Amino acid sequence: MADTNEGRFPDPHEVEVPEELEGWEEMYPSHYLFSKERGEWESSQFWYQDKIHAPEPMPPLDLLFQEAWQIALSQYTTRVFCIPPAQGIAQRMVGPYMYICAIAPPPDEIIGEKAALFEKRVFYVFEHYNELWDKWLTKFKALGEEMKGLEIPKEMPKYVPEDQVLPAPTGCYVSYDLIESFDKLVNQMFKGWQYHFEMLNLTYLAYLMFGDVSRKLFPGISESAIGKMVAGAYVSMFRPEEELCQLSRLAISLDGVADILKREAGAAEKIAELEKTPAGKEWLEAFDKAKDPWFYVSCGSGWFHYEGSWIDHLDIPYSYIKSYVERLENGETIERALDEVDRERDETVAKYRELIQNEEDRKAFDDAHNTVRTIYKYAEDHLFWVEHWFHTIWFSKVRKFGTLLVNNGILNEVDDIFMFNRYEIPEILTELATGWALGVDIPMRGDYYKAKADKRKKILKAASDWMPSPALGVPPEEVAEPFTIMLWGVTTDKVKEWLKGMGEVSAEDVSELKGFASSAGVVEGKVRVLKRLDEIVDLEPGEIMVCPTTNPSWAPVFTKIKAAITDIGGLTSHAAIVCREYGVPSVTGTGISTSVIKTGDTVRVDGDTGVVTILERA
Amino acid sequence: MEYILHFEVLDKTSLPRVGGKNASLGEMIKAGIRVPPGFAVTTDSYLNFITETGIKDKIYEILSNLKPDDVDALNSASSQIQGLINSTSMNDQVKSAIEKAYLELCGKCAVKDVPVAVRSSATAEDLPTASFAGQQDTYLWVVGTEDILSSVRKCWASLYTPRAIDYRNKNNFPHEKVLISVGVQKMVNSRSAGVMFTLNPTNGDPSKVVIEGSWGLGETVVSGSVNPDKFVVDKVVMETSERTISVKHIQCVHDPVGGEVINVDVEEDMQSKCCLEDEEIKELVRIAKGIETHYGRAMDIEWAVDRDFSYPESIFIVQARPETVWSQRKKGPLIGKKSGYQLLMEQAMKRIKIPG
Repeated sequence: MADTNEGRFPDPHEVEVPEELEGWEEMYPSHYLFSKERGEWESSQFWYQDKIHAPEPMPPLDLLFQEAWQIALSQYTTRVFCIPPAQGIAQRMVGPYMYICAIAPPPDEIIGEKAALFEKRVFYVFEHYNELWDKWLTKFKALGEEMKGLEIPKEMPKYVPEDQVLPAPTGCYVSYDLIESFDKLVNQMFKGWQYHFEMLNLTYLAYLMFGDVSRKLFPGISESAIGKMVAGAYVSMFRPEEELCQLSRLAISLDGVADILKREAGAAEKIAELEKTPAGKEWLEAFDKAKDPWFYVSCGSGWFHYEGSWIDHLDIPYSYIKSYVERLENGETIERALDEVDRERDETVAKYRELIQNEEDRKAFDDAHNTVRTIYKYAEDHLFWVEHWFHTIWFSKVRKFGTLLVNNGILNEVDDIFMFNRYEIPEILTELATGWALGVDIPMRGDYYKAKADKRKKILKAASDWMPSPALGVPPEEVAEPFTIMLWGVTTDKVKEWLKGMGEVSAEDVSELKGFASSAGVVEGKVRVLKRLDEIVDLEPGEIMVCPTTNPSWAPVFTKIKAAITDIGGLTSHAAIVCREYGVPSVTGTGISTSVIKTGDTVRVDGDTGVVTILERA
Repeated sequence: MEYILHFEVLDKTSLPRVGGKNASLGEMIKAGIRVPPGFAVTTDSYLNFITETGIKDKIYEILSNLKPDDVDALNSASSQIQGLINSTSMNDQVKSAIEKAYLELCGKCAVKDVPVAVRSSATAEDLPTASFAGQQDTYLWVVGTEDILSSVRKCWASLYTPRAIDYRNKNNFPHEKVLISVGVQKMVNSRSAGVMFTLNPTNGDPSKVVIEGSWGLGETVVSGSVNPDKFVVDKVVMETSERTISVKHIQCVHDPVGGEVINVDVEEDMQSKCCLEDEEIKELVRIAKGIETHYGRAMDIEWAVDRDFSYPESIFIVQARPETVWSQRKKGPLIGKKSGYQLLMEQAMKRIKIPG
């Protein structure tokens, strides 16, 4: 457990991991472990638990996204756009939890060199943002299509098919295809994540700049007001929901379609019924057209294989369509008032602007706002394409390997493949290829892998009851890395708060949580904790929702709830934006709400100050 | 002849008949700023009073015999005239007009014998007020027609303080041209009261309204004898960024027996209760923004919530004056001439200090 010395975090090399997690080290690449060889450096840095990307114990294969961002995010800061005093973000695993560290600034001469490069490279991006975004989207979609088109062996054939041998042998066969296709898949994912950060660091930098300008002019301005002035309404992340609205309207205009969609039945049954009529077919065609890319949306953050996506859980979009159709028939409006959101943003900006006393300051405020608005769209739009669309394709491809391994007796369940890291899977695939090549009746170590997968699943399960220290190592004197400040909100206060909490990490002892004040208003009430989207059915109208994070999959709940509390997400997160729209108070990014608050607890949500107070335990 | 004019009908153009103070109350009402209800006793009332009762000629006669720089004669003339005004019964026309207006006010407030403030309101704003009209008399917690009538006469008499007479003489300002009006305004039956600023006085943030308030009359807040409840509200997004509920041990109330305001203990269960409802805070912020817009500058405002009315009619502005601390600072730019790129470069070079 955590070191209880006040004002100090444990040394990263001395953290004691509960014994139920024994063997956790082998789940992750060895360079992810705190090590003697880098001991001195590691001990002198400040490490904090990354609850944004790794709030839950990390399945080995899902670590690949983290691996990819460690490299990609860092390189844009240090080597590409050269944010002068900032270095990259390093990652380590302690048990199945991930810690990250914004590395201390480089020597002064490096800062000087980088400043010159920054001016040249970064200003160019801002000047040309719109055309760069178009180019980005084109190449990203091409990459996704490439991944979609990747062929993964469906079986290990008894004999290689005739057409691969005659009239001329292809020369390489399933034993090779297996290894190659997995390598390609991994490389495509890494490439996608290189693209992911292409303009994101600059976006965050611009956001911080605008926040700073606003605070100079209005010392007490809230983060949510700043977010409100920056966020846009026409964001790719909201398209899935808009598509559902359109499909619902179409359903009503087509003969008999709405009635089928309103039934209490699964998606499969409804689809079969719709196939029977011309109107139903027309509607299904429209659904299929919208499906790619817009229903390639994760039911969670997109970071974990078990979250699932709409396209593999059609019951989800169909159940939303059911409720939209019913609301339309009741004469309700179902679309979000997007123009209204944009109008409100512009009005907010204009009102603050009016309060500025000085012409020069007004001009600087305008410039700062235009600068952040130029590029902020990137932060809002890349998310859908990478974390949702691209990851959805990835998961479905990985499951093809899982299926092959199950069919060949190497794994028990398709998703067990996620219990192995990206370096281990080629080994398993190679063993399969070898066994196949060697002939018939060749023993393979399915039991070995099955046992390993089971053990790891147990470790991950046991780890969810463990709350390790929020931070390790030595708090830094300064932070310059934009993501650290914006995404994780690491500031003096945060570090102090963590220090205060040292040794007092039991969930029952926590009575107050701090997060982002992302939608104004104060309410009290009973809580419903929803760890997964499928638990939505338990939610009763008027409850306060507590969940890890939300995305468009969660849209329909916002009309029912009194307030929202999330573990993950800043002021421009989905929950924050939608809550502001519906006038529902919310506190986002509390880090620990789903582990500390229990269903039935009574809490006060203060969306003005970002504080959640637990008033009464259930 | 209009002896009485209600505040709602007054504006700048009414100044010659109702004086500066009353006219500015009318202007505030026109700007949507709610002030306690009441009426002006016009200069016509004053003229009618001195004419009808026949004291007019006596007054001017006393004044005409004055020699410059004869201090004793000045003092004696002053006390003669003031005595004359105060001891002469109000003539029926004016008396019944005031009586009627007061009864209407009582009806409006649904309070029998509603306590009022009676204040003089000078008409010659082009001359320094204090020197001209003498002490601007104010009588608080006046109850009933009789007391109001005598307070009105006291206000009229304030035209003839030695200093005012002397000033007019020295400036060759004819006494006959000097007229006076009186304002009669409901005393707020204050459940809660306090002050508010249209900027944050601690850091000058112009996007905030800061409200401080406590139970009872505003005196405890103004004098600092209680720790007030404090609310900091954003003018644009209307979020409350600070909300401090203090323990308020005492409150200032009017003692009808002694006729004075006194401090009394706050009941225990009320001490830690917030002195304002959320909707009242919102309304105060709305009013504060309106006052700031109306005067075109940061303002320092006294407010009160009146028990005799229901929300939102219960919320009154008692006083509004320009904020001085931040407004008088040199107003240099806070950011200055910087382009978006310059600002971005600055941000990129920034390091956030985290003390270890």
